[in-house]
Amino acid sequence: MGKHDQTEGWIFKIKRFSIHDGPGIRTSVFMKGCPLKCVWCHNPEGINPDISIWYNRKLCIACGQCVEVCPTKALKLTYDPAPVIKIDKRSCHLTGECINTCPTNALQFTGYKTTIDESIREIEKDLAYYQISGGGVTLTGGEPLYQAEFSSEILKACKQRNINTAIETSLYCEKDIIDRILPYVDLFIVDLKIFDPSQHTLFTGRSNENIIENFRHLAASEKTVLVRIPLIVNITDTNENKAAITNFVFETNEKIQVEYINFNPLTENKYIQLELPYLLKKEENSNNML
Amino acid sequence: MILPDNRIMDRIPEIKPTHRILSLREKTFSATRYLSIEQAKIITRIYQENENLPVILKRAKSLAQSLLEIRITIDPEELIVGNRTPDIRAGVVFPEAGLSWLFREIEMLPLRSQDPFQVKQEDLSYFQKTLEPFWRGKTLEDDIYETYGNELKAIEEVVKINQKDHAQGHICPKVEDWLKYGPGGLLKIAQEKHRRSTPESKNFYESVCITLEASCKYIKRYSIMAADLAKDQPENELKKNLEQIAHICLKLSENPPGSFREALQSVWFLFVILQMESNASSFSPGRIDQYIYPFLANDLKTGRIDLLIALELLDALFIKFNQIVYMRNTHSAKYFAGFPIGFNCTIGGQKANGDDATNQLSYLMLKAQDHIRLTQPNLTARLHKNSPEAFLDECSRVIGLGTGMPQIVNDESIIPSLKAAGFNQHDSIDYALVGCVEIGTQGNYLGWSDAAMFNLVKVLELTLNDGKSMVSGKQLGPNSGYLFNFSNFSDFEIAFQNQIDFFIQKMMPACEVVERFHQIHLPSPFLSSVIDDCITKGIDVTAGGARYNLSGIQAIQVANISDSLAVLKKLVFEDEAIGKGQLLKALKNNFAGNEPLRQRCINQVPKYGNDVAWVDELGARWVGYFARKIKMYKNFRGGDFQMGLYTVSAHVPMGFYVGATPDGRLAQTPLADGGMSPMNGRDKLGPTAVLNSVLRIPSMMASNGTLLNMKFLPSLFNSQEDRRKFTSLLKAFIGLPIHHVQFNVVTSEELINAKTDPESHRGLTIRVAGYTAYFTELAPDLQDEIIKRTTYGEA
Ligand code: SF4
Ligand code: SF4
Repeated sequence: MGKHDQTEGWIFKIKRFSIHDGPGIRTSVFMKGCPLKCVWCHNPEGINPDISIWYNRKLCIACGQCVEVCPTKALKLTYDPAPVIKIDKRSCHLTGECINTCPTNALQFTGYKTTIDESIREIEKDLAYYQISGGGVTLTGGEPLYQAEFSSEILKACKQRNINTAIETSLYCEKDIIDRILPYVDLFIVDLKIFDPSQHTLFTGRSNENIIENFRHLAASEKTVLVRIPLIVNITDTNENKAAITNFVFETNEKIQVEYINFNPLTENKYIQLELPYLLKKEENSNNML
Repeated sequence: MILPDNRIMDRIPEIKPTHRILSLREKTFSATRYLSIEQAKIITRIYQENENLPVILKRAKSLAQSLLEIRITIDPEELIVGNRTPDIRAGVVFPEAGLSWLFREIEMLPLRSQDPFQVKQEDLSYFQKTLEPFWRGKTLEDDIYETYGNELKAIEEVVKINQKDHAQGHICPKVEDWLKYGPGGLLKIAQEKHRRSTPESKNFYESVCITLEASCKYIKRYSIMAADLAKDQPENELKKNLEQIAHICLKLSENPPGSFREALQSVWFLFVILQMESNASSFSPGRIDQYIYPFLANDLKTGRIDLLIALELLDALFIKFNQIVYMRNTHSAKYFAGFPIGFNCTIGGQKANGDDATNQLSYLMLKAQDHIRLTQPNLTARLHKNSPEAFLDECSRVIGLGTGMPQIVNDESIIPSLKAAGFNQHDSIDYALVGCVEIGTQGNYLGWSDAAMFNLVKVLELTLNDGKSMVSGKQLGPNSGYLFNFSNFSDFEIAFQNQIDFFIQKMMPACEVVERFHQIHLPSPFLSSVIDDCITKGIDVTAGGARYNLSGIQAIQVANISDSLAVLKKLVFEDEAIGKGQLLKALKNNFAGNEPLRQRCINQVPKYGNDVAWVDELGARWVGYFARKIKMYKNFRGGDFQMGLYTVSAHVPMGFYVGATPDGRLAQTPLADGGMSPMNGRDKLGPTAVLNSVLRIPSMMASNGTLLNMKFLPSLFNSQEDRRKFTSLLKAFIGLPIHHVQFNVVTSEELINAKTDPESHRGLTIRVAGYTAYFTELAPDLQDEIIKRTTYGEA
């Protein structure tokens, strides 16, 4: 096919029968990399654009084979007192031997490189289901606009095949990126998170001026936009925040709907596997958390 | 008060069952199950008194006498009356078919883990002192074991031959004729035939007449009893109801039904009498919404009833379907756990001209399912590309209630498959489901759909080990070499094929023996009166009187075959990543001390159910081979053998015969469930990937029926929007060449809770495999297996 088919990008998951990310039955493509760092992030493995290895202790049967095959001796079988593999990330050169050897898939890369061609092949497997259900493809992540080139090429390839497209984004990006993908997106699902700029900075690591500006720009287009906010206790779910967002969206474009969704707190385990700090403990409120 | 139809149809989701229905339901549900030997006593007496009569006449007289003598009861609240025993859900002892299993097991019956029955002391001693000694050596079961017991034993790890100690059943009678003529009208036809019979057909026609005449009298007994009970009632609703029952039963004892209520009552009597003649699993009513609809339409038009009254009557019939259960031996109860008696009612589908056949009654039946939520009837919805959106929606809504029903079958896939199997266009388009998921035409077909189950996974295990069982250590198959003797995958496949051929050759004579003895012991004149073309030909249904005479054999289990062969092909033969001797040794040791190897088998090769063509095609190839191979044989009635891909609950006991397998399954643990389903927990990509895998399996060759289980989270049915996604999955299914799919809508946590706290989950029903059972009545190993099945619909 066309010259773009070999365009490469990094993703960490393709999920079929995805039913909560837009209309109908969809396939969601999870893209690596995100400029923000929300403390409640669902998919922390998607934040870092670089690949690393992660370890799922629950699956590990402590066979020690990974330790044996690692050429740089980055792995160690330790006891705490139950057996557990410790990874020295500095010595790991991501050669992958351990991952290929591990019999239980306890060791995995946090993402993989793929091409437009390969992604489309996965996407097309459920073509029949999109057609009947009015579904399609949703790019999510991570922040799909972080890999703008790759994202726009996938979306374009989908549109060429008449597949409905949606994108889940924070809109934190250069404005011209919005223009670039605009023609290929049927539905924007925008997470505005927190309206107050300083709070936004506090909980996501970046201010939201650029987001607000991009949102105004997007809202002025003819595209269908849905604002979807995850309800995080004392962070996004406060009355002030909800009112501010609702007002802002209404004033910008009264046709745009705002949807609040419950947050799935099952994510902590992922942080443990990634050896990242999980700042959003259940039952703790935001103040004593930080 | 009679309400206009449209007002009722719009309100359907909110309509609640009446107090009467709730009360009848509770009584059915809370009854203790007892063993019943009342009919056995009558049968024994008739056999003793008529020793020299031909069996068919002895059978006819036994049924007739039972119809006249057996104690009957009427609950004044009942709208539909009739049962074959005074107790609800009794386990009827049926001597002609076989008593030796019961002789061995009767004292354990109250204690067994699957489907226990209480036994009264006097019944126990009568059984042991009188009944069993008289029948010893004279039954179907005894003859089969006497003549062929050793052969059956020799193949039992691979082939389970069914119906060795009970009647065949698995049939849809011609209810339409029963409603058109009534037993009285059918009797006149049979009498006419009898007058002009030949010496060969004389006994047959005489037997038919005896049973039909007694059927009329049986129905009249209910009329008399209802009238008597009415006399003692004060002037109230119950009295009026009893008078109406008396009136209806009197009419039905002489004439065909005229109203909706009479038609439902008439249908129920037919099934009670069929059960009294045969005591078998699965006499299925078929397409009730088609043959009853004219009665409903007429009553609505004349204003005799409205849809609310119709619904209450239907609810009452649904409850009735739960009052007859079928008692199996302990071994068999594991294969068919939780009383799948198989009152399978099919709704929707197409008319003879291909138009959509859905009508108001189809919707009312879905509503009755919503109301009753018991394990019977086994409700099946036929879908096709022109099924109305509203019907799909209502099916989805009812599925979302979590009773596992309706199960869904696909006209677009089944009708062509039936035609390919030799059924004519008219009969194919009029198909219904029989029992669990067996496909059959109505009123003319003895499908013998459960002739045998063939354990392909066991044959694969034998092929790895020179024909020797890893479980029993016995040499079962030919010496075809050990895994390490094969230099490439295709040589291994040749050996696999030879082993399959060997066991098919052993199985066929066994099937024949069983059928031969059924003809001798269990001719069924009453059933024959409602199966075309028995009356025309003057031949009993067991002797080949039906228009179609196929036999079905289930190939088990495509998921484990695909997965195991994929490991052998890829890891062992192609990549040589696992040594042949190493794998064989690990399998024989049930992977003891070699968990890493087992994990590699599970994780390093893709599995069936994940939309990986080369893996799915391995299984497809071998079930296809099996289907073609059995088609080369003819059954004892002269019909073809056809393949089915379903196990009912047999994946648990059949797995018990199989050692560890290359797919990483441990020895003696369950195989994949259902028939077409992936191995539990191995399908990682959700339902669309599963469907894509399943469609690679040649369902067209599985005209006996297929079974696919799917488990969804209840949250998928919470909002209309989400439910619409489920409905579109159904629509996609219609476009695929897959016959059947059924859904459990429940969380694993709820099932785990139900297992630990059965008392508070008594009403929880679960789709096992082609039928629904109470979860808390299932044996623990089957419960565990169901909990482990993959659930779809997570965020
Ligand atoms: S190879 Fe996998 S299972 Fe074995 S010790 Fe390493 S991580 Fe654990
Ligand atoms: S990826 Fe390579 S270097 Fe890193 S731990 Fe695994 S084997 Fe060692």
